[in-house]
Amino acid sequence: MTLQVLTANRLDTGDVVFWSGQAWVEQFADAERFDAPEPGDAALATAKAQPTLLVDPYLIDLVADGSAPVSFRERIRALGPTDHMELGKQAMGGEAIAAIQHAHGAARSTGRLSLIRRKP
Amino acid sequence: MSLYAYDQIDREMLADRAAEFRGQVARRLSGDLTEDQFKPLRLMNGLYLQLHAYMLRVAIPYGTLDGRQMRALAAIARDYDKGYGHFTTRTNIQFHWVRLKDTPDILDRLAAVDLHAIQTSGNCIRNTTTDPYAGATAEEVDDPRVWSEAIRQWSTFHPEFTYLPRKFKIAVTGSAKDRTAARAHDIGLKIKRSREGELGFEVMVGGGMGRTPYLGPTIREFLPARSLLSYLTAVLRVYNRLGRRDNIYKARIKILVASTGAEEFGRQVEAEWAALDQGSIDLPDLELARIRAAFGVIPFETLPARSEAFEAARAADLALARFARNNLAPHKKPGYTIVNIALKAPGETPGDATSAQMEAVAALAERYGHDDIRVTHAQNLVLPHVKLDDVPAVFAELQRHGLATANLDLISDIIACPGLDYCALANARAIPIAQDIARRFEQPDRAEAIGELKIKISGCINACGHHHVGHIGILGVDKKGEEFYQLSLGGSGAEDASIASILGPALPADQVAPAVEALVDAYLGLKTGEERFLDTYRRLGPAPFKEAVYADAHPA
Repeated sequence: MTLQVLTANRLDTGDVVFWSGQAWVEQFADAERFDAPEPGDAALATAKAQPTLLVDPYLIDLVADGSAPVSFRERIRALGPTDHMELGKQAMGGEAIAAIQHAHGAARSTGRLSLIRRKP
Repeated sequence: MSLYAYDQIDREMLADRAAEFRGQVARRLSGDLTEDQFKPLRLMNGLYLQLHAYMLRVAIPYGTLDGRQMRALAAIARDYDKGYGHFTTRTNIQFHWVRLKDTPDILDRLAAVDLHAIQTSGNCIRNTTTDPYAGATAEEVDDPRVWSEAIRQWSTFHPEFTYLPRKFKIAVTGSAKDRTAARAHDIGLKIKRSREGELGFEVMVGGGMGRTPYLGPTIREFLPARSLLSYLTAVLRVYNRLGRRDNIYKARIKILVASTGAEEFGRQVEAEWAALDQGSIDLPDLELARIRAAFGVIPFETLPARSEAFEAARAADLALARFARNNLAPHKKPGYTIVNIALKAPGETPGDATSAQMEAVAALAERYGHDDIRVTHAQNLVLPHVKLDDVPAVFAELQRHGLATANLDLISDIIACPGLDYCALANARAIPIAQDIARRFEQPDRAEAIGELKIKISGCINACGHHHVGHIGILGVDKKGEEFYQLSLGGSGAEDASIASILGPALPADQVAPAVEALVDAYLGLKTGEERFLDTYRRLGPAPFKEAVYADAHPA
């Protein structure tokens, strides 16, 4: 199956975070890769049971080698805004960040679509 | 002092609101409120969760600020954000990196300078847009800020209109030259005088952008000014009663007006209005006079129309001369001018200002501009009352802070929404497209030779970047996960309002700026006399422009 990672935003700060297997971490590179549905779904269920820690947890699909999210939206979430390359997670630089920046072969974002249809 | 002065009631209201939100945030963080319970509460205080963080949208009532307020915004950007803010097409400001736990403190800081985030989200009557030249231009029939303030007082927390079918936006223009995009609003109000000299409004209802753009038809040619609030109440009541609540895409008043027909909708409003106790809603003359007086009177000096100091300075400095040509507008008082500050330096993000830039503008307003700053729907700032004698000093200070870009209404003065760089709703980025185009037309002589050309870019169909009313509109779309851009031509949000028409198939990101260049080259080859791009397009239609773009670019 397509590799997946679990992401969310921290409730108190809004920061984008990923599930590492032990903790919620800032960098996409440190996220646990799920190669089967069951562990991903179990992690998602655990995340949903932490409403004072997280907002909107969901699973995202990755490119084949797991180096980047498939969707362009998720790549920007994992990096930061492209008009301020010094801000967000991309500021730390390095190979893992470069891999996301150079990823291609995108497809529509997964999971979050149902959350974004309505403009408040 | 030239801003409306908040009274004790206004200040208590803001303090109460900030305290209430502090409690709501505490209850959310402790788990007493679920996210589903909390989300509508935070949205009513302008707090959204975006891609990277929370975003706080702060209302700038009818786009008017004083130096103290601008300094407070700069301090918030520095202390709670990442040192910059983004001025929006609704003349508000957004902070894109706010933390939920800090938001109550931010609202307290805002309340301390009579600012807030009320009416920046939710299905209520939003912050009113008005002419950034209000009170400064000789073109205006009456000062639209007075009426915008009346609308603010009437609409804020209006119990009947807090849960409308959908959000509701009002614009008031006091001049025939429309700098508010009035016809693109749910209600557009144009101040005018009757043949007998009575003050009133032309009332346009049912305009809007989004996925189904409409220009609002006029449902009343002349509404006596004293009846404004009762008539607005009648419009809102008909909408509240008949607007659709079953389908979010058909819930705006534009859909109701289009499906009912403007004439029938107007008839229903008139019937509702006739049945209202108008006297209990409309402002008494005394209260209107109080609002007018609360704006204060600017002590303009009696000056010659021509400033020798200014003329000498611009004769000696080509950059100042260019700035004067493009960014100054005539003032109603001799010896004064309106200074436009374009937040559109090539390569920068449209509408963004750093804390230092905000403080620089505040200082200029305080020293040279009667402490008055305006925000425009084109994401620029205005110092509405500057002496011509002071323009060289103001220009020098703007230059020092990277704020002297002399491109108002030119091709690089581009409106762009935050797009997919920040916004959770976007399908594609808008900012890099604006940056590409602005860099391509960075050479100022070339930009001036092209003349007025308004490019407006949206990252999704919600159209916050007003692409439907761009001379060139650009809409970002998601094609199988890749960013593509659909070009539209022939729109206008000004007094000659029109909706742009799609030119052809969407283009990949790297072909958008070349396509704009092809459009410009075609225009320059086809224009006659003083025609603007828009005029040439309207005369010739899309064919030569389509040929120019799709002969060279390779559509997907």
